Order: sequence, then structure tokens, then C-alpha cells
Amino acid sequence: MTCDLTLRDARSIARIVNLAHRFNCRCTRIDATTDDEATRASLAFDGPALALTRLRAQIDRILAYEAPAQ
Amino acid sequence: MNGAQTVVAALGREGVDFIFGYPGGAIMPMYDALFQHPVRHVLCRHEAAAVFAASGYARTSGRVGVCCATSGPGATNLVTGLTDAFMDSVPVVAITGQVRTELMGTDGFQEADVCAITQGVTKMNFLVTDPAKIASTLHEAFALARSGRPGPVLVDIPNDLLKAQIDPAFAESQPLPVRAESRPRIDDAAIRDAVARIRAARRPVAIIGGGVRADAVEAYRTFVSLLGLPHASTIMGLGAGSYHDPAFLGMLGMHGLKAANKAVQRADVLIALGMRFDDRVTGKPDRFARTAQVIHADIDATEFGKIIRPDVTLHGDLRDTLEALVAELVRTQVPRFDDWAVEARLLGGPLPSDRVNEHVLSATDVLDRFFAALPENAVVTTDVGQHQMWAAQRARPTHPRNFATSAGLGAMGFGFPAAIGAQFARPDAPVFAVVGDGGFQMCLPELATLRRYKVPAKVLLIDNQNLGMVRQWQELFFSERYSATNLADNPDFAAIARAYGIEAFFANDPAGADETIRRFVDHQGPALLHAACHPTENVWPMIPAGMTVDDLMEARA
Repeated sequence: MTCDLTLRDARSIARIVNLAHRFNCRCTRIDATTDDEATRASLAFDGPALALTRLRAQIDRILAYEAPAQ
Repeated sequence: MNGAQTVVAALGREGVDFIFGYPGGAIMPMYDALFQHPVRHVLCRHEAAAVFAASGYARTSGRVGVCCATSGPGATNLVTGLTDAFMDSVPVVAITGQVRTELMGTDGFQEADVCAITQGVTKMNFLVTDPAKIASTLHEAFALARSGRPGPVLVDIPNDLLKAQIDPAFAESQPLPVRAESRPRIDDAAIRDAVARIRAARRPVAIIGGGVRADAVEAYRTFVSLLGLPHASTIMGLGAGSYHDPAFLGMLGMHGLKAANKAVQRADVLIALGMRFDDRVTGKPDRFARTAQVIHADIDATEFGKIIRPDVTLHGDLRDTLEALVAELVRTQVPRFDDWAVEARLLGGPLPSDRVNEHVLSATDVLDRFFAALPENAVVTTDVGQHQMWAAQRARPTHPRNFATSAGLGAMGFGFPAAIGAQFARPDAPVFAVVGDGGFQMCLPELATLRRYKVPAKVLLIDNQNLGMVRQWQELFFSERYSATNLADNPDFAAIARAYGIEAFFANDPAGADETIRRFVDHQGPALLHAACHPTENVWPMIPAGMTVDDLMEARA
């Protein structure tokens, strides 16, 4: 599973990688660049299908939480 | 104006009336700003109690609960309460002092990377690095805590920023509204699909969860009464279903009522509303409600398919969703399920009794009498364990904000400080904490908080001289090997309460229990009732972990 993410907070990458480990998935690639506006990251994960589904859902939740206030 | 004054001013703009906390070095400037400020600080006797009090305040009021602590140990002591708030979707803002910026990363005295520590148990946390952003960060934290699926947010502020002088232009950042994107537009097609399935159903059942706290109680009651629908509740949803409604089946799950569990298992359409199919509800997910089509409504799309695969998803605020369902139902003829509701209720029966000895006080008898003696507007918090389940089976809350418990995390030590927070939130309501002898000893010093602020909250202590729930599992599943659960050397709790200046009652005789309970409930001011109960009474019914209602136990084998 690959995820191309635009994050407000670079620390969220660490949170996502921790979750992957917790769900018995493996983060196989992290590419990220960051500037004053956002962090753009491309991540790849290996793992059981169900775990990857759960991970993707949790990533979506993190993205929703950290979206800038309107 | 300095950073700390900015913090307190921002709290004032957010409408904060109480902040629960404990001072220490790094956060001292904020305590100086709080001195004689209209935002009242409530000194708890442990940071863990402060965050539970903030949670109790939030759960029983619907407003954001606020707590604060110093850096290092103060901040790390908040972790359990933040996790509890995260699991139960409770809006809490925690403010922590941090060591001076120049000390960060040097393993300074009382330095802890609380943002890293709490990253997985908060919706988000912020380390403020610019004093000009203190106010705006706090306002964002409040908006985030209450937006969408509520939850805890932590703001960590270094000591030098709290002392820094701030340009007033930056200090007056304004509160933010609830995020618009956190209230998704209701999908009309999904509503029509859900209603079509309800119309075609023969045995539909609704389950209400903690999502009902989003001001959805009236909409929920309208929905179920419109259909005559049998409905059950998770422990987080208790109070949403009216106990005067014969179609309300009570709590479901591991220690839920038989009718609720059996009806759900027989349902052909399950309408899951603001609940997340916790394992304490489903047992074994692949055997849970096997014959049912599932309509799942939630504000958090992450919940869809996490445990149970839904046939229809209704993503949105629960009140919006319920109002849309009702509008679609009444557009044409409304189906009624009264006969099925009667049948569903008959699937259960009275709660099984586990009275072991008629001459020794039974915990369930005490709780039956206690709940019968409570006024309708009573607010009850519980701790975690057997008494929590007995209370959840027997309580009759008239609103979800009248019953607060650590549900998802199951954090012992929650109940008593949560009651203190609840009493600050609801000064006119009679507030009671139902606790066990294990959990109460995790927060005994809060008797001092009760005394200092003359908080009239009362504590019903169910003392069975055991960590009862663990003991019950040891009896049933670990060959009666009672490892580290015996608390027969408990102290004299009434004497301890009196030492703190709290009125105390004691009951151990079934004959006089009624009168003692009445005096306790009617007592004006804080009080403790120490009920010394039989040590081996179990919670029934019980569906063992990972099993289904087919495996339901109502007594020892």
C-alpha cells in the first residue's frame, strides 16, 4: 500500500510509522519534504490486508485531525 | 501581558469557568496568572485526578474540560486520563508547562517530551515555540477538541514562553468555531437506502452509543418511538433510551442484559448509531448479529468496517443523521415494530441474582436500593470493575450526561475525581460516584479536594475486599487461582473519610441497609457510604470474552 500525503505536521509521519508497526505492518519507504506550508510525504507499507485497511483508516483519521482549522 | 496571562485570557474567551490541575516549577507563571483570576483553579491532589475531573466535567456538561500540569512527572501523570478521553471521545484540553526552551533536549530537571508521549492518545498536540502563537494555538486546541468526533488535545508551553512579554495584537486571538468540515453533509441516497432496509425489515434493532452525546438524544428518542423499534445501548449511550419506553432493552455486551443481546443476535437489520462495535459489545465479531444487514451511522468514517462490515454507511453528525432518517420515514407510511418489540423484551428476564449469603450485604442489593433512592436528575459516575457493570445494569439515567464511566479504556481511579468534575459542571445536580475498593484507593487523596471546595458529591463504595472483576475471571477462567486480587486488609474507609472531614456512613447488615442508604442519599454535603459486601458475588449475566450470546452465562457452572 502506498500513501501520498500532504501533512500539516511533520510529526504525523512518526505517528503513522508507529501505527504501522503496531498493526504488524512494515514501512518500506518514506520520502518526505517539508517547508513552511506543509510536509509532503510518500510512504509505502507491507503487511496483512486487514491490517493495511485498518492502517489506511487510521491515517485518514490523523489527516482529518491535523487539517488546519478553517 | 506575558505568555501566561495570555493563556488565562484565552481560557476566559473560551468560556472556561474551572480548570483542574496541580502546580509545579515549569508552569508557575500560569499559576501566577490564575491567582485571583475569574477562571477558577481547582487543586486536585494528583494530576491523574485532575484530568479525570476535567473529563467528568466534560462528559456531564458537554463543554470542554480543561486541566493543567507542570512539565515532566506532572505531564506524564496526565497520560492515562488523556487516553481515557481519547477512547471515549471526550473533549479535554490539557495545558502543560515545559522546561525552558534552552533546556529542552538536555535531559533537564523535570523534562519529558510529552508531545511525543501523548501523540498516539490525543487528537493532536502542540508544542508552542513562539509566544505570539500561544493564544491562537489554545483557541485551535479548543476548536479541535470539540469538532467532529470530540477528543483530547494537549498544548505544551515552555516556561520561558509563559514569562515572555507579548504584543497585545497577538494576545487577543479569538476562539474558533467548530470546524465546518467536521460536520459532513448527509448523503440523501444513503438515507433512502437505510430507510428502505428498515421498511423491509421484520426484526430491526437499534443500538445507540456514545455518539448520542452530540445533542442527539431527542432525535434518537423520536426515531425509535416513531417506529416502535426495540433498541439497546452500549455503556456509553446509557441515558439515551428512555427507561419508560418498553421497547428499550437496556445495555448490551459482555455484561449486558439478556434481552438486548438476544434481540441483537436475532435482528435482521441492525441500526448502529454512534457506536463502534467494541469487543466488549461484539464478543466474536464474525458471529455477532450474523443474520443482520448493518446500517452504521457515525461521525468518524474510520469506524466503518473497522470491526463489522456495514451494508449502509451514514457518515455525519448523529443528530443530522437521525433527523434525516425521520424525515425520510415520515415522507410515506411509517412501519411499526411493536409486536417484535414485545417479543424482543420477552427474550430476557430479571437480572440473575448472585446473592451468596442472606446475612451478608449483597453488592447488587445495595445498588438496587441505591438507584431506587436516587432522584431523577442524579448524575452518577462509576469507577471500573464489577460495581461498574452492576451499576450500568441497574442505573436509570434520564440523559447520557447523567452517567459517566471510563468505558473504552476502563481506567480504575476515574470514578471519584470524575464526580468532582461533574459537580463543578452541574452544581445543582445531586452527584454520586459509585466506586469499588480497588479503584477508590487509587484516588483517595481527592477526599481533600472534596473537603476544600465543599463539593457535595457523594461516594458509594462497594467494598468486597477484592479486585472483584479480576477475581471473577480467576474463578471462572483461571482455575480459582486468586493471584493478587485479595484486599482483605483494606483500611477503615469511613475513618479515612472522617479524617478528611467528610461525613461517613457504614453498612454491612442487610437489615439496616435501606435506612443507611436513604440517609446517605439525602445527606446535605459530601459523604461516603462504605458498603461492606460479600467478597465473592459475581456479575451476571456474562458473555465470556471472544464468545457470543449463545455462550451467555447466568450463574457459576
